[in-house]
Amino acid sequence: MGTISSAFGLISGALDADQSALSIVANNVANANTPGYTEETPNWQENSPVTIGGVSYGSGVTETGATSVRDRVLEGRLDQQQQLASASSARLTALNGVQALFTPDSGSSTATAGDIGSDITSLFSSFSSLEADPTNISLREEVLSSAKTLAGDVSNAAASLDSQGSALGQQASGVTGQVNSLTTAIAQLNQQIETTSPNTDAGTLEDRRQEDLSQLSQLIGINQVTTENNGLSLTTTSGQLLVSGGSSFELTSGSVGGATHLFVGGTDITFQLASGGGQLGGTLTALNQDIPTALNALNQLAYNLSTSVNALNNAGTDLNGDTGTVTVPLNIFSQPTALAGSAASMSVAMTDPSQIATAALGLGTGNNSNANAMANLSNQSIVNGQTPIDYYSNFVSSLGATVSGVQAENTAENASVTQLQAQNNALSGVNLNDEAAAMSKMENSYQAASQVFTMLNTIMAAALNLGDQTTVS
Amino acid sequence: MLECGARREHPDLKQLVIEASRALAQLDASRLEELALSCQALNQTLGASGAESRSGLAIQARKARGDMAVFARILEATRCNLGVINRLRELRAGRLEYGERPAHGWAPAEIRHGDN
Repeated sequence: MGTISSAFGLISGALDADQSALSIVANNVANANTPGYTEETPNWQENSPVTIGGVSYGSGVTETGATSVRDRVLEGRLDQQQQLASASSARLTALNGVQALFTPDSGSSTATAGDIGSDITSLFSSFSSLEADPTNISLREEVLSSAKTLAGDVSNAAASLDSQGSALGQQASGVTGQVNSLTTAIAQLNQQIETTSPNTDAGTLEDRRQEDLSQLSQLIGINQVTTENNGLSLTTTSGQLLVSGGSSFELTSGSVGGATHLFVGGTDITFQLASGGGQLGGTLTALNQDIPTALNALNQLAYNLSTSVNALNNAGTDLNGDTGTVTVPLNIFSQPTALAGSAASMSVAMTDPSQIATAALGLGTGNNSNANAMANLSNQSIVNGQTPIDYYSNFVSSLGATVSGVQAENTAENASVTQLQAQNNALSGVNLNDEAAAMSKMENSYQAASQVFTMLNTIMAAALNLGDQTTVS
Repeated sequence: MLECGARREHPDLKQLVIEASRALAQLDASRLEELALSCQALNQTLGASGAESRSGLAIQARKARGDMAVFARILEATRCNLGVINRLRELRAGRLEYGERPAHGWAPAEIRHGDN
């Protein structure tokens, strides 16, 4: 090769390379506002050296295509945190709905589930009032009225929990449709990526796949496995295959014993999905764990309260001189047959107030011993080893603690997602932020926050100790 | 609003913790450094404060415990995120040996041939 033509070749090659690189930069700028677009950088390849007169000279570079500036590890971490944040967010929404049911409505005269605590107190107060004047019909009516209010509030709460459960079941079924659309799209993109760009970065196709993965992570907990030729396999966090190369496997929903269950290829994976993350994980946790826990607590309260009050009323003598028998019982509440469903079916069976058995057997109809025993039920451990009011209070406190814990998780997980998005934008997005500056910002923030935390911790520990000392002295 | 010359004995601890969590979520290093200085000043004046003031601070500390737990969780999440970012930096710098290095540019001949 002659000297001049070699030099021209080198210069024109360099110009071509620069032109290609400029096209990539122009593409980055044009897509600056495209969601999910990842910045591309040009790849340079060294040309073979030219030998002139026995001396080797470099012959410049050739632009061989673009590579997206992406970090699968960072994107994976972002997806993982997004799954956790979406799960706690969905669970929190459901829990807030449950908690709202048990919040006392002080400003309203309408009885609600939130009044169950005061309903229990009113019932036992009405027994105490009747104890003082056992033949008084209006006081007897007051007992039945209090019992009806309590039973109504408990059964309404159970019905509301049931309808919240149904709504969550429908929500879970709806999410499966969205999951299937996304897994189908990812499988198709996989096929295109594997066919058209097996050995290099597939640019826009990979952006679209990452965008779909990000959306999928908000819906369901997934594991990603990179396969040959830039392909991707997806499984649920418990290992059920959702996407393998160009194939996707459908998630279906169905009813098992009246409850919504989810399947992949005939395998019931409802409980695995609940712990897997994403909106589906949070919704299923609320559906299979939180709502049943609240319903069980109500069932326990309704069952034990109804059976204890009925048992005592059947053991005494009413105003007519009658005593309850197996065939003709004197039940105040409808007698529950099983724990399950006790709250939903809680109601007052007695219509005649004279049937309240205030007297002990053989002591005459004006006696108040049995009314006294019924009033004293309020201090006895008749519900799971606790008094009725303590049992209910502990249930409400425990629900509050669960809500508070999930709220804390959600706040922390959302904060983590915000941080990772900032890092990902700095790395993969098209903007002027320098990646190193973004990392340094994160390090500085962490160090400053650690200092703030340490000092706040010291201040709070000291304040609590000093406060205790002050109150003691 | 405080009158000119007046100052609060202690800032509201709960608000301080919430503000720190928010700043950390947004990686607002400048705000966190300001908060660190505020905490330092608060810590220094704590010992010299009166009994009534200490009692008030104890009440505030009890109220802020939940938010402090959230702050701790965010700090822990940040630590994990920072770990991921630092490993990525190492990976890009070629100090970790996961897969092939990206073909950006080329190494000088003497290094490539190992004859230096």
